[in-house]
Amino acid sequence: MTQAEIKLCSLLLQEHFGEIVEKIGSHLIKTGNQPLRMIANDTEMSLDQVKKALCVLIQHNLVTYQLQKRGIVEYEALCSRVLRILRYPRYIYTAKTLYSDMGELIVEELLLNGKMTMSAVVQKVADRLTETMEDGKTMDYAEVSNTFVRLADTHFIQRCPQAPETSENSAAPPPPAPTLEANEKDMYMVPNLNLIGKGKRRRSFGDEDNGEHKPKRQKQDADSKEPPPDDGIYWQVNIDRFHQHFRDQAIVSAVANRMDQTSSEIVRTMLRMSEITTSSNAPYTQPLSSNEIFRSLPAGYNIVKQILDQYLTLLADDPLEFVGKSGDSGGGMYIVNLHKALASLATATLESIVQERFGSRCARIFRLLLRKKHLEQKQVEDFAMIPAKEAKDMLYKMLSENFVSLQEIPKTPDHAPSRTFYLYTVNTLSSARMLLHRCYKSVANLIERRQYETKESKRLLEKSQRVEAILASMQATGAEEVQLQEIEEMITAPERQQLESLKRNVNKIDASENQVDETIFVLESYIDSTVKKA
Amino acid sequence: MAGSGKGRGRAAFTFNIEAIGFAKGETLPEAVFKPTPLFPPTGFKPVPLKMGEDEDYMLALKQEFRGSMKKMPYFIANKDENQAIEKYSKKYLQMRKESMEWIPDWRRLPREMKPRKKTKKVEKTKKAKVDTTKSNVDVLKKIENMLRSITCDRSWKRKAMEKKSLMRKRRKKKTKRVKKKQQMNKKNMMKRNMKRKMTTLLHILKMEMILVLVVTTTWMKQPISYLY
Repeated sequence: MTQAEIKLCSLLLQEHFGEIVEKIGSHLIKTGNQPLRMIANDTEMSLDQVKKALCVLIQHNLVTYQLQKRGIVEYEALCSRVLRILRYPRYIYTAKTLYSDMGELIVEELLLNGKMTMSAVVQKVADRLTETMEDGKTMDYAEVSNTFVRLADTHFIQRCPQAPETSENSAAPPPPAPTLEANEKDMYMVPNLNLIGKGKRRRSFGDEDNGEHKPKRQKQDADSKEPPPDDGIYWQVNIDRFHQHFRDQAIVSAVANRMDQTSSEIVRTMLRMSEITTSSNAPYTQPLSSNEIFRSLPAGYNIVKQILDQYLTLLADDPLEFVGKSGDSGGGMYIVNLHKALASLATATLESIVQERFGSRCARIFRLLLRKKHLEQKQVEDFAMIPAKEAKDMLYKMLSENFVSLQEIPKTPDHAPSRTFYLYTVNTLSSARMLLHRCYKSVANLIERRQYETKESKRLLEKSQRVEAILASMQATGAEEVQLQEIEEMITAPERQQLESLKRNVNKIDASENQVDETIFVLESYIDSTVKKA
Repeated sequence: MAGSGKGRGRAAFTFNIEAIGFAKGETLPEAVFKPTPLFPPTGFKPVPLKMGEDEDYMLALKQEFRGSMKKMPYFIANKDENQAIEKYSKKYLQMRKESMEWIPDWRRLPREMKPRKKTKKVEKTKKAKVDTTKSNVDVLKKIENMLRSITCDRSWKRKAMEKKSLMRKRRKKKTKRVKKKQQMNKKNMMKRNMKRKMTTLLHILKMEMILVLVVTTTWMKQPISYLY
């Protein structure tokens, strides 16, 4: 784990879980697998606190444990999983676009709590939805369960590995740590629950409601003491599936930008058809025949089969190679080259970064080097049509920032510098890694700056919160206009300005964090696609 | 022969400088002797952020998520050092947090995670505070008992032995005592203190004087001036 990643992880843990969890989490990330006593020793915290923090981290799938020899349990922190916390808003928003408010709330509850049983999720989401609805209306559990089942069917949420069932009369003493098994078949199977009920509001309106609900509430309390029917079956968010969805979105929008709307729709159809059949890190999708694609096109598009074939040939001939032709049966078998698409996306990101950082001339040299792979100094000047002095200057600037590297090709076996070729080249993989490291650093800087800004104006923020609370309570009890105005004037005009600018800055920094995370996603997917899985 | 390079004493590169683009005899750029500055000047202004409904919604989601995480029982905040002035709202916030305590599913966690109940100390059942109505008879009985315990030799010895064994136990469980002391009833502490003090003569005489005063005032319901 690089220093930048560790710093970012510790900042994220501190913001979301507090100082104690942050200390233990960052210690585990830095030192790798450790048993409980060693963690307590090294961090100099009490055993109690360490246990609590580890429970929280395990609950949120950020730390896993393994039973080693001699009964020692070792804990390991998953650094990459901690970095995903940056992407939570994107997951929730995607769930909203696909499954509307119910899906959004289900995913949000699962992310807030790490793991939950289905009944608990449904209950909480129904309660939350009921509060936003009008008076008198309540959300039925059945609707929420339906959305939950749909999310599970499309693999957006999955079951956590199951703990082994312990029988009451086991002769041997229970092992120090349960071995959780992940059952591949049951991962998306929803248990057969008969969830009947309606969402409850937190506040009770009027005595009539109280009278009606009292016997019901007593019954519910009795029910909650028994274990729920799906006890032990926990659900978590399937992050890989969301990443697959983001990748598909990126490819479709790239095709739409490069060609036109219809071709992007065709690619979207192809990707949708291969969602379940292709694993998430396959280099290309399963071959799809042109007839199948024609049948699965969305209902709104009524293009003729011939035009579809023309589009497919155009896509396959494109130099970017998003779509490839793998055979001629069934009217032409077409695949989507996922790894190549990710590489093109990463390269486009690199080009754009060079352009924004160094100028369009540097970008021209960069693109030239990408195309021609290796070029000498003189050749660069000639091909880019840029005067020698400027070309040299730009190349050295990019070289010092590690976007471009030198490749030595010796003419003689003694590698004499006067008789060696020095060629400039761009290595996309190493540049992508360097940029990813830089992105982590920038997000860490952004978070630090945001915390600094809020700390500076802490007193002012507290004052404004108090004034708002007073205003709210006075409005509830019914106060005159004059009194409300007086209270509002407690915050002077310059203070109000200060608050406004603080709010603007914090919003800007938060939005930048979200957008840097988009770049992080593209670069990470590209790097992951090049790593060979053992 | 002995001469090196182009001219005597002149530095020369081991390769043809034209290969990397510098013309012959041209002034080379300065060598850098310090690390890159902390905030290097950027050549161009950054591109403005993406604006739009989606981005605004995601921004709101992010801030809401952060806020709700802070209220969850998973957020373990550092115990603040004793503030000079305790906030009134703190008491109610603590109450709300305590009502939302989270208990993990112990079947999924290693056994060492579960906090073990301390079985050594038997929890003392808190005696219900009985309202002592101040009746003279009760007070007299109490005083008589106290006087008897002070003057009787055997009970004094018994108390000394008890004290010794108590001290032994106390040394063994010193650390636990330190914690328990804070939680113990103040009345218990006072009682023990009182018992300990009864072993020296001066203190006994003092207590006797006070007791006599108390008896006479409660009996006669007026202070006796000649006793002062």
